[in-house]
Amino acid sequence: MPMRDSFVQSRRALLRMGAGAGLVGVAGLPGLAIGATGGEARFVLVILRGGMDGLSAVPAHGDPAHASARGALASPPPGAPGGGLVLDGTFSLAPELAGLHRLYGAGEMLVVHATCSPYLERSHFDGQNVLENGTARPYGADDGWLNRALAAMPAGGSDRDLGVAIAAQMPLALRGPARVTSWSPTIAPPVDADTVARIARLYAERDAALAEALTRGQDANAMAGSGQGGQGRDPFVTLAEAAARFLTPEEGPRVAVLEIGGWDTHARQLGAYSALLRNFATLDAGIAALASGLGPVWDRTVVVMATEFGRTVAGNGTDGTDHGTGGAMILAGGAVAGGRVVADWPGLGPRDLLEGRDLRPTTDMRAVLKGVLGDHLKLSRAALDGAVFPDSSGVKAMGGLLRG
Amino acid sequence: MAPSQSALLAAAIAANRFGLGARPDDLPAIAEDPRGWLKSQLTPETELPAPLQALPSTLEDQLAFLRWLGKLRREGRAADVDIENQRPGGGTGGAGMEGEGFSVERSFAAEFGPRLIAAAKARFDTAVTTQRPLFERLVHFWSNHFVVSSAKPATVAMPPSFERDVARAHAVGRFEDLLLASTTHPAMLLYLDNVQSVGPNSAFARDPDPKASRNPLQQRPTGLNENLAREILELHTVGVNGGYTQADVTSFAKIITGWGYRAPSLRLVGQAMMPGDLEGRDLFAFDPEKHEPGDHTVMGKTYPEGGFEQGRAVLADLAVHPSTARFIAFKLARHFIADDPPPAVVDRMALSFRETGGDVRAVMTALIESPEAWTAELAKFKRPEEFLVSTFRAGPGPALPGPAVLAIQREMGQQPYYQPGPDGWADTQDRWMGADAVWKRVEWSIATARGLATAARDPASLAAAVLGPLASAETLASIARAESPAQGLAILLASPEFQRR
Repeated sequence: MPMRDSFVQSRRALLRMGAGAGLVGVAGLPGLAIGATGGEARFVLVILRGGMDGLSAVPAHGDPAHASARGALASPPPGAPGGGLVLDGTFSLAPELAGLHRLYGAGEMLVVHATCSPYLERSHFDGQNVLENGTARPYGADDGWLNRALAAMPAGGSDRDLGVAIAAQMPLALRGPARVTSWSPTIAPPVDADTVARIARLYAERDAALAEALTRGQDANAMAGSGQGGQGRDPFVTLAEAAARFLTPEEGPRVAVLEIGGWDTHARQLGAYSALLRNFATLDAGIAALASGLGPVWDRTVVVMATEFGRTVAGNGTDGTDHGTGGAMILAGGAVAGGRVVADWPGLGPRDLLEGRDLRPTTDMRAVLKGVLGDHLKLSRAALDGAVFPDSSGVKAMGGLLRG
Repeated sequence: MAPSQSALLAAAIAANRFGLGARPDDLPAIAEDPRGWLKSQLTPETELPAPLQALPSTLEDQLAFLRWLGKLRREGRAADVDIENQRPGGGTGGAGMEGEGFSVERSFAAEFGPRLIAAAKARFDTAVTTQRPLFERLVHFWSNHFVVSSAKPATVAMPPSFERDVARAHAVGRFEDLLLASTTHPAMLLYLDNVQSVGPNSAFARDPDPKASRNPLQQRPTGLNENLAREILELHTVGVNGGYTQADVTSFAKIITGWGYRAPSLRLVGQAMMPGDLEGRDLFAFDPEKHEPGDHTVMGKTYPEGGFEQGRAVLADLAVHPSTARFIAFKLARHFIADDPPPAVVDRMALSFRETGGDVRAVMTALIESPEAWTAELAKFKRPEEFLVSTFRAGPGPALPGPAVLAIQREMGQQPYYQPGPDGWADTQDRWMGADAVWKRVEWSIATARGLATAARDPASLAAAVLGPLASAETLASIARAESPAQGLAILLASPEFQRR
């Protein structure tokens, strides 16, 4: 397996200058799974498809090499025109992520930087496959780590859907043995309730299996709400609101998966027409909608935003970035012990970069996911090292990510 | 003379269970001899169905991909030109379309999106209009048995031509021909990575040709790749419990090292201008330099060194292996009859397979002549594509533009030519009757009915015409009580008898 030396936990010099922090991975024991309000923990995975530029989302403006390494894409320091929102002495946040910045201030958002899945090549397709299958290689499993986590969860109860994908097709991350469902807004014209009721009655008379499926489908639609986006709203916000409606009821699913594409920004990351900046704003609005929709359930929720790989540190010839390696992962939620950037920062100097071009990954994404799943969904270490992330006992769960 | 009820019932079963759904005027004609009507379709095609004739040849599909790669190189985007690196973000092929400036994904989508849409539309239109629906079902069956999916970047443009060269060409022929056509097709050799497989003791491994990496479709080979050998055993022939071991997989993989294809050259392009476009097998090439030398044993039989013929001999044996007979018989019976097909039917089909050396026509005849295949119980839940096709066969529906064909099937979870893995689309009810899936079918039943209602006859007579005696009293009563023709049609299309077959 292409485990490059960067993953061998050679804890290199920590460049981080923020207050107090340090490596969280070593210290910190699992916290309490259940938030202050009681009730079951909730988990949301947001898959950022296309390779999010982690250094644009969370610029390392305090790295001495930042300006030279990033060139035109370098973020001005916080306070300067166009500068980011300050996180600490080293890191800032893209201004379009203002909502996430507020959560950071409230201690409900945390960044893990210089992280990557065990996949270290540069194909979207294989990268997303690894991000979701939970092994160290493409096609290493034909189901997903999140579903296997549900299956391994103590006493999850199998008479209900344990997970929901807000997607037309079940993402690989949520495919597997545990009972899950999916919902997506339709492209079909609206239906009239009377016709649906007549069909449901016919199913009840003639076909128990169809009747049950339709009932569940109607329930899901009721839970998801109308699914109609207002004028000018981004569909992702609508999907996030739907996810909140699924997760809020006590008997609702434990986990949800959301997807947002468009991160493959090979060109024009800057300026008024930047798809990347627009995507940041969309993501930010979606997380805000999720938090607001979850209400008190937010307190016992962890949201993980993850992408298949980061992008090149330097811009390419078209003010964009090409496929890279290390990137940023964002955790949000009331259960997150936030207000920190966790990074074994490799640095942006010419000799620090992987292959001279990419942010060197120093944290295996699975360490973060294991930390969250173990502390939040109460998965045993054996399950995490085996069924959920096969053959990963060498990747230690990162502790202390959640409020204890 | 009007056909009897029992003849109409058999006709409805023939048209729905074995076909792609009845058209409004089909049943009386089929009722004259339902079994004969089916058997008459077990003959090779004399010409391609009209919707498929305009599709590009296999060679053109390959050339398109190479041209696209070449264009990127000329534009100085060589850093991005890595075969496995080309894929629109997300699983749907449509992502990455927004924004400005260049992106590999956008270029990819612009080049291949329209081709896939055209191919999906051609497949759909063929299924809706065919007069030989059982033949078409077998085409679909084999292209879901020997799977090449556009979900893999390297083969994104190839499934339609692979389907034509393999499944359509041999749909009712000998299984060995299907297997050989599949295994020698560039699309399969790419999809399951055999083009990268190199014998550890081959001449190539000892002295790698530095020129090899210049072929953009062939990554620098790294050694033995077992993928194709394993899937041939597990998915194409004897089945996962067919009696092979890991050692057999490795041996077989060694035997088919060197199975690859020539990149289209000017000479081949010239040939393709001649009558009869090149098929996949014409592009096949055996490279002795990459072939692992020596005798190798697969499932108890030792195959002496013999270059290409060594692998061909293994395929010939696998094609008639008793486990293959059983595996294919079961899979066909499951596809047509029931998720758990009657064992007696499977036995009869497997016997026919063994006795005829894998003659698909004989195996299908054994199925058609099995009384268990003609019960009125509708055990199979149509897959989304089958459901949509049957909807459009039932009535002169609104003409669906290509993008809509793709979008609707994607929404129902069965995007054409986009199987998630080499095991193909699932063929059991539990994989298709999810809550969201059923809800979407109900939605589309209602939407389609609105389009049909203006043109079609009244729903009660349409129900009788396409379902015949299969229509239940409850369904007919519900249709009769409908407050409008559109509602009645929606109930018909959503009814259990129409959702099942």
